[in-house]
Amino acid sequence: MLMENRVRELREKHGWSQGELGERLDVSRQTINAIETGKYDPSLPLAFKIARLFGSRIETIFDPGK
Amino acid sequence: MARFSNKRYNVHVALIMAVYVLLVFFEWPHVKGVTDPVLKIALALVPALPVVGVIVLMGARVLRSDELQQRLHLIALGAATGLIAALSVVFSFLCAAHVLALAAEDVLFWIFPALCLTYGLTRMALSRRYGGTAC
Repeated sequence: MLMENRVRELREKHGWSQGELGERLDVSRQTINAIETGKYDPSLPLAFKIARLFGSRIETIFDPGK
Repeated sequence: MARFSNKRYNVHVALIMAVYVLLVFFEWPHVKGVTDPVLKIALALVPALPVVGVIVLMGARVLRSDELQQRLHLIALGAATGLIAALSVVFSFLCAAHVLALAAEDVLFWIFPALCLTYGLTRMALSRRYGGTAC
């Protein structure tokens, strides 16, 4: 089961496109799209990188659900 | 490590494969006429060099991909390898039972292109599934 996340919401809040966020995280636009649409769960290092970039705690961005 | 753009990768592969096609059409037909064994081996192996070049390029591309891309490459490569392995076993049994009469060199020549084709198609389908472009 894939996690829910707030990546799209946070990205839009910062006014970044998927490509811009991908550049900041050193991943492809496709990877950002797959994470935002819930088709792919990022690895722990990438999840930490995302959390650090948005200045949030990892559990406030990614919700494993019940 | 900087990622390979699709355009850069496709240009490299196209150039190398153009060299391969030229070698197959203009160099390969002369190999059978060469009598010196060392020269014959060297000339026979020349067309394999561009193919090895493409394999190295594919490896570099996978290594420079991000984690999702690497996962897609791995699944596509696994699916392609599994399918080609299964087909080779099926064809081997059919040949051994004399149901099919295939020359070994013809079969060996087609393994790499078949692997590339299956890998490419699987990679394309996976890419679409994960919201990317076909390439």
